[in-house]
Amino acid sequence: MMEAQKYVWEGAIPLQIHLHESEITSLPPPSPALILAPRIGYLPLLLPLIKPYFSSTLPPGQDTLWFDYKGLPLKWYIPTGVLFDLLCAEPERPWNLTVHFRGYPSNLLIPCEGEESVKWSFINSLKEADYIINGNCKNVMNMSQSDQVELWRSIMDGNLDKYMRSSSKLKLGTVTTAEADMVGQVKAGKIPVRLYVWSVNEDFEDMEDAPEVDNWDQISYINRPLEIHKEGKYFTLHDALKNLLPEFFAGKPLINDKPCIEESEDFQKVSSEDVGSSTGAEEGKEIVSQPMESCCNDAEIKLIRIQGIEPKLEIPFSWVVNNLKNPEHFLHICVCVKIPNVNAA
Amino acid sequence: MATDSLSSAVIVQLKATADAPILKQNKFKIHGTDKFAKVIDFVCRQVHRETVFVYINSAFSPNPDELVIDLFNNFGVDGKLLVNYACSVAWG
Repeated sequence: MMEAQKYVWEGAIPLQIHLHESEITSLPPPSPALILAPRIGYLPLLLPLIKPYFSSTLPPGQDTLWFDYKGLPLKWYIPTGVLFDLLCAEPERPWNLTVHFRGYPSNLLIPCEGEESVKWSFINSLKEADYIINGNCKNVMNMSQSDQVELWRSIMDGNLDKYMRSSSKLKLGTVTTAEADMVGQVKAGKIPVRLYVWSVNEDFEDMEDAPEVDNWDQISYINRPLEIHKEGKYFTLHDALKNLLPEFFAGKPLINDKPCIEESEDFQKVSSEDVGSSTGAEEGKEIVSQPMESCCNDAEIKLIRIQGIEPKLEIPFSWVVNNLKNPEHFLHICVCVKIPNVNAA
Repeated sequence: MATDSLSSAVIVQLKATADAPILKQNKFKIHGTDKFAKVIDFVCRQVHRETVFVYINSAFSPNPDELVIDLFNNFGVDGKLLVNYACSVAWG
């Protein structure tokens, strides 16, 4: 088991980073920075490696770092490996990104003030995972300051041994299958999972013909823990996915008996005291499930990617979680699904 | 669990922590399909502050891009999503 985790920690994405043309004030323009970015890391943490390439050419002002891929601003709190798996249907090596030091798109990206913001996001995700697994986040809250620092440093340095030392004190455990179940192992049986579901309307055979993601509305960012029941049956990745995304597994009936009509009645009842204005329409329409519930049988899963690999669906899910999860104990799964265009809107 | 109530409302209960002002009206409804960022903005406006720190169940601070419905399904208690707010970091 250690072997696979090592591969994950040592995994890196080769980046070729270009400074945005609006920020180039010198001739000749600077060459792109060639950086190896750890899969389990985050883009803003690369600042110290990137800055030296461009500092002499930047216009005056304060740095507010952000990246885009083919014009799509990149969400900095998503691990680098996940961004690559999600946005490059056909892996591009090196991955060509554009870096900006000015003009942060606050309307599209949540603020990032460097390492502190990334660390805050990481620690809170870890607490969230703890809460999902244990029903509270006492494990993380009770970490000593020095242990927390060591944990964070292990992420910054990509040091698995250091990480194992500090995270073993967390007792967030490993998942066991019914066969290997021991007394005292993971009690709640809930696995933290983040799903990134990219919906496309067009069909394509090869990944290189896949359409591009030009808008985050095309991707549903879903936080859905998986409950593992200790029933003694062999629980595979396929079983887990059917559980997590029942709306996309063709032929599978819907879980609830409620017809779609009832749900839209509930929606209309809510009219008073709404927080803010109703912008339901602008949120990714793939999130509003009604059109998809009626066409779930036509949905086609094109791709399932975890840590850069497309695992065989027969693999035991416990293996997938224990070996492929990220350091904050979430398993990130990228899914590309083709759904027919039911709605004109 | 995965498919129900994706388009219906979630009841959010706000609770002041530490130095934060207490709101007279502390229960609100928000669409499940909205992001948590909407809740954060709402709290900022209600307490008249530029920044607030918000937590779920006095435990952790979720990512603003998370969907309210996911937070409710995963962490809701008694049919509500309990959001604690403070003007300085409460649980660091």
